[in-house]
Amino acid sequence: MLKIRWFRGQWLHITFSRVLLYVVMIALVCFTALPLIYLISTAFKPLDELFVYPPQFFVKNPTTKNFSDLVVSLGSSTVPFTRYAFNSIVITTIIVLCTVIVSCMGAYSLVKLQPPGGKFLFNLILVALMFSAHVTKIPSYMVVNGLGLINTYGALILPNIAVAYNIFLIKQFMEQYPNELLEAARIDGAGEMKIFLQMVMPALKPATATLTVFSFVNNWNDYFSPLIYVTSQAMKTLPLALQTIGGGAAGMSVGRAGAVAAATFLMTAPTVIIFVIKQGQVMETMTYSGIKG
Amino acid sequence: MKEKQVKAKPVKENPAPKKEAPVKEKKRFRLDLHKKNSLKGLVFVAPFIVGIALFFVYPIYMSLRLSISEQVAIVGMKMQGFTIEHFVKAFVVDTEFVPTFVDVVKQTLTKFPLTIVLSLIIAILLNRDLKCRGLFRVIFFIPFLLGSGEVMQQLLNQGVDRSVLNIMDGKLIPYNVLSYFGDTIMNAVQTVFGLLVKVLWGSGVQILLFLSGLQSISPALYEAAKIDGATEWEIFWKVTVPMISPMLLLNIVYTVVNSFTDISNPLLAYIQKYGLTDAEFSYGSALGWIYFAFIGVLVAIIFAVMQKYMHTSEVEEVKKRERKHRVFTIEKAPKRTFE
Repeated sequence: MLKIRWFRGQWLHITFSRVLLYVVMIALVCFTALPLIYLISTAFKPLDELFVYPPQFFVKNPTTKNFSDLVVSLGSSTVPFTRYAFNSIVITTIIVLCTVIVSCMGAYSLVKLQPPGGKFLFNLILVALMFSAHVTKIPSYMVVNGLGLINTYGALILPNIAVAYNIFLIKQFMEQYPNELLEAARIDGAGEMKIFLQMVMPALKPATATLTVFSFVNNWNDYFSPLIYVTSQAMKTLPLALQTIGGGAAGMSVGRAGAVAAATFLMTAPTVIIFVIKQGQVMETMTYSGIKG
Repeated sequence: MKEKQVKAKPVKENPAPKKEAPVKEKKRFRLDLHKKNSLKGLVFVAPFIVGIALFFVYPIYMSLRLSISEQVAIVGMKMQGFTIEHFVKAFVVDTEFVPTFVDVVKQTLTKFPLTIVLSLIIAILLNRDLKCRGLFRVIFFIPFLLGSGEVMQQLLNQGVDRSVLNIMDGKLIPYNVLSYFGDTIMNAVQTVFGLLVKVLWGSGVQILLFLSGLQSISPALYEAAKIDGATEWEIFWKVTVPMISPMLLLNIVYTVVNSFTDISNPLLAYIQKYGLTDAEFSYGSALGWIYFAFIGVLVAIIFAVMQKYMHTSEVEEVKKRERKHRVFTIEKAPKRTFE
């Protein structure tokens, strides 16, 4: 064990296990950070560096040409890039808001109020967890078509609100919420809505923050629903636009590789930002007041 | 307050069946409250039910019908009759389906225990008082943010995960030293590193879930364990693991299901080829049902096994205690009055 004088007269204790902990952590972080480093550096790579094999992680001659390429390639298309961005932002925001509310209400009801058929619904949710949406896309398309939602925001928003995984996640958190608090509130004459809004929701803040991040990332990167439910250019979202820039689904054209890298960088930025903002809340401890062993 | 009134009423009206009446009345009262609550519950869960009925139950029903009937016309998806021909075809006629299936299962079964263990270890390390904890946390989660995006696909296409050693070339790991050992060891090391990188990239969510599970364990439990003289190892197995067992279950289910329903999964691409591109909806649906029947059985097994080791949540324990308490008061209260 080593003792080193730290600033402000504190002692820094260096033990073998602590050093080991940091070494392991830093090694793991190095591996994990690779995609991010690659993403950032690729956005600033000149064309000749983009196609080097094996891929280089660090850019040698950084350039912003990729971003100007992106602007040029977008200038030629009929729908401005900002429209795609607007679509993505509006759709994702509405989905996240609705799914948080619907999942929290559903989970609260399933865990604390036990409605008739609640057990069945929970089993249904478990089954739904195992299904990939991709297999039922054609029947889903028929539903959306039947509702007359094709080529509207509704087609992109509605199918993504009642997601089994989201309610399952909130339910796991909800089970830790003490019944005593609910009973106390009921005895004090609070209505169910008041209890839900003023007691349960604030206590579920870490869970809703987690759900917000998950839902945002999933829907922001969702490539499949706009591909199927939307045919008009003006309704498309960023992931589809990205492919259009790259030269269609068939194959990426070489000349646009730089523009795609820049666009990818721009597209990923919001997800990283929202996580950085929310991560403090995600980690916040569940409030444990009221429970005494 | 209400309970007392209800109890008091029958005693006044007919004092003869003293013992039975209050119990009966109480039961009816509780049932009413229960009904009221469950009706309220129905209102709360209604939006979710509507959503899941429209966009999950009905499509599932349609795809089941598709898989067991003959497809007559593509337009309007007309179908007819009942047949299990599609299911038989998948195993007997189709030469690609079974090998792809086995491959996918093998891949998943090697990756998921690694993911769970690694993410639990990382979450526990992150939960300690590290410097720059927030930064570590963000970095571990970032691959998930890129996960389904274009970047990850590009990286994997270029074989970055396998050639980590080449990229680090002499900077972090003495690459040249390894090459003395010959190709076999080189390859083995590369494979291990590649797998490690892939697993790390795929475990952002798991780390986050474990971490929030760990954070919700009250520090009082650890304190109590320490006072009782438990070692770190014992605390891990007897406090941490039972307390995060709900999260563990969630994580295992999430990991298994996620790797089976991943977009880059070759089997799903195969199913989609039939379901979307070739417009053979019936055969595509049948393949989908075989696949998901398998996942369903697997998850059911996981649930059955985990349920045994699952720590009953604190809420349930409190409920149990409550019930005991209630019995206790009912038995004891009349005694006091008689004395």
